[in-house]
Amino acid sequence: MKKVIKKKNRGLTKSGPLLLIALPGIIYLFINNYIPMFGVFLAFKDYSYVKGIFGSDWNGLNNFKYLFKQDAFLIIRNTLLYNFTFIILGTIFAIIVAILMCELGEKFRVKIFQSSLLLPNLLSWVVIGFIGYAFLNADTGFINNTLIKLMGSGKEVAWYTTPKYWPFILTIVYLWKNIGYSSIIYMASISGIDKSIFEAAKIDGAKKLEQIKHITIPMLKPTIIILTLMAVGRIFYSDFGLFYQVPMNSGALYKTTQTIDTYVYHGLMELQDIGMSAAAALYQSVVGFVLVITANAVVRKVDNDNALF
Amino acid sequence: MKNFKKLLLIACSVLMVIGLVACSKSDSVGNDKGKASSDKVEKKSYDKVVYAYATFNNIPNSDVLETVAEEINVITREKINVEVELLPIAIFDYSSSVSLTLQGGGQIDLFESLGDFNNSVSSDMAYDLTDMIDSYAAETKEIIGEDILKSTTKGGRIYGIPTYKPYALTPMVIYKQEIADELGIDMTQVKDIFDLTDVLRTVKEAYPDMTPLVPVQTGTSGVNMTIPEVDYLTDDYYSPKGILKGNDMTVIDYYGTEEFARLADLTRTWYNEGLILQDAATTTSTATELMSADNSFCYVASYSYPTEDTAASISAQTGGIPLGAVQIGEAYLDTTSINALTWMVSSTSKVPEAALKFLNLTFTDPDVINLLIYGIKDRDYVMDEEGFVSYPEGQDAASVPYTAQLSVGTLGNFFKMYPQEGTKKESLIWEEEQNQLAKKSPAMGFTFDSSEVKTEYSAVINVINQYLPGLLCGSVDPVEMIPEFRNKLSEAGLDTIIKAKQTQLDEWLKNN
Repeated sequence: MKKVIKKKNRGLTKSGPLLLIALPGIIYLFINNYIPMFGVFLAFKDYSYVKGIFGSDWNGLNNFKYLFKQDAFLIIRNTLLYNFTFIILGTIFAIIVAILMCELGEKFRVKIFQSSLLLPNLLSWVVIGFIGYAFLNADTGFINNTLIKLMGSGKEVAWYTTPKYWPFILTIVYLWKNIGYSSIIYMASISGIDKSIFEAAKIDGAKKLEQIKHITIPMLKPTIIILTLMAVGRIFYSDFGLFYQVPMNSGALYKTTQTIDTYVYHGLMELQDIGMSAAAALYQSVVGFVLVITANAVVRKVDNDNALF
Repeated sequence: MKNFKKLLLIACSVLMVIGLVACSKSDSVGNDKGKASSDKVEKKSYDKVVYAYATFNNIPNSDVLETVAEEINVITREKINVEVELLPIAIFDYSSSVSLTLQGGGQIDLFESLGDFNNSVSSDMAYDLTDMIDSYAAETKEIIGEDILKSTTKGGRIYGIPTYKPYALTPMVIYKQEIADELGIDMTQVKDIFDLTDVLRTVKEAYPDMTPLVPVQTGTSGVNMTIPEVDYLTDDYYSPKGILKGNDMTVIDYYGTEEFARLADLTRTWYNEGLILQDAATTTSTATELMSADNSFCYVASYSYPTEDTAASISAQTGGIPLGAVQIGEAYLDTTSINALTWMVSSTSKVPEAALKFLNLTFTDPDVINLLIYGIKDRDYVMDEEGFVSYPEGQDAASVPYTAQLSVGTLGNFFKMYPQEGTKKESLIWEEEQNQLAKKSPAMGFTFDSSEVKTEYSAVINVINQYLPGLLCGSVDPVEMIPEFRNKLSEAGLDTIIKAKQTQLDEWLKNN
């Protein structure tokens, strides 16, 4: 018994300073993420400015109804499919880029490539939207005006009114913007791998590709799982800028570009109903929460060591 | 691991407790502050009113604002025992900024509705002015008149005062004079929107590289405003749902009307012949920007000023390109065209009487109104002998310390503002006449309360956003798209909205 208590105390003295270091972060998290959670009441209220958040009348589930109207299926499908694509392709490309970077070796070259890959991530979506517009504009865009003419193969495409191209355009734009950034984490994990393992493999006659397949990727597994689990938690959200700015909010494209966030935005810009926006946010978080728990449970079953909790 | 979890638990619970304490503390602090400020007010014995207005100009810095506020305070202290704090907010954040401030318990006593009078009333943002208006704003009531005040009345209670300005929007074509002269086009022959097609063809023939018609704003070629005698029944002009047409008191589906189908056909013809900008449905450039370029000829829009004045003022904004304007329809007044800009006292205001007294001055006192709009004389503007206002030599709207000149039609009483250089004094008379003469909707004064059909509203708005821009700019085929559009609308619940409108309208008719 004594031993246990001692051990406990030691744990506290050991982690005390660490907790202190984390304190500003924890306080920030609390103020920024926990206190606003009282706002969750709004999702069930008919908000009135005079009565305030707690005094407003209860509204049952009425605020949620619009989320399940008409195109709900299409919108949920878009949101989920895009996010699945982004998680899968994003991870694959980020790992490839990270491995290539690590193989470059020389510091100077790495810095140049890395900076140029990171650059798009620093641009705002509005700017990226207009870069896309410069390519796709019906009258003066680069593709219609130069590429298609050069290839001599006929018809100009009205990009902003043809929905079928947009899943590809949006995926390309997403990857272009995000890969540089997400590859950094993988690069960090790769440089953390013990170099002697690679040397041993080399002596055993393993080629570069074999080294990657048998050492790098298995060693990256925990990082991949954690990042994927975190991405799954946000699978019901969508990057508003990507889906709103890049298609220039063109109505004709809604079939393939409308996601939950843009739907809520369009519907409520005119109504400005606080309760309904809160309902949308709650709906997204609850589904995200359930998905994370499920995904984690699956991981735990398959590979207990790598589960998040 | 177990220890760590326990530690985490403890940390969490400690944080929760701290949080709760912090909450209650901040509450008490807030109260103290409230008390302190009210104490102060008592000492000075002036009520402090915060006046939040939307500005289209640069937001002046706080020192400059103070100087203007001080000039206004000299008047208000003496006249109504009130001190004013000016709170200009950029137009694009205005609504959200005001509603967030009010939710957060911040002080705003006077604010304007930008198009959503009804919403402000149904979410209890507006103070009921019925019992105060006669004692504190009688002069304003007299200027505006009972008829116009009806538009901001709901269930017999008055919730705001509409800005007094030229209300009647007249559809016009704004065109480049030089091109019309050169090609010998007689624009006075254009009497309605359908006459425009031949003009556009002539221009296209002479200048094949030109797109003669540009959109007035994202997603509309402006043609939607040319349907005569439409009462939008409280909806936005750019996303109408159920409407009234003419004197018939049955609410109908805007998109089912024959006029709408004809307009969609018309824009499709323009699109196919290359007469309208091909990406009109998505471009974010404004009409004035597009008109500044060489490859455009005209656009269709609705303004509340006489044609010559409109042409002159837009010409100034496009860098002095000579423009002409021709009227292609008649003005029509419905409730929304008046109450779209309504001044309201906030329901959370601690000094509603003082706020209303100040609001009254913005309708009646020329000194207060012109300080708000133009700032301080000789620093922010100069006035010539005839009373016309312009910027001091070498200065413009962007360089003077204070101006809210572009907000002229939104603050208080437009007719008490000093006229700007380049406009005519007769125009004011024309405009005030238009307010009286323009044909008025038989449902004038009726406002629709959308709170019971919110769910349907948000779904319908999404469908409209999806189809309407394409139809109004010609980029989709109406033969195929209108049936699909209407189908989607009724799936989204347009019929429920129309029914709700009809019920409320019938109720209103019974009482009026």
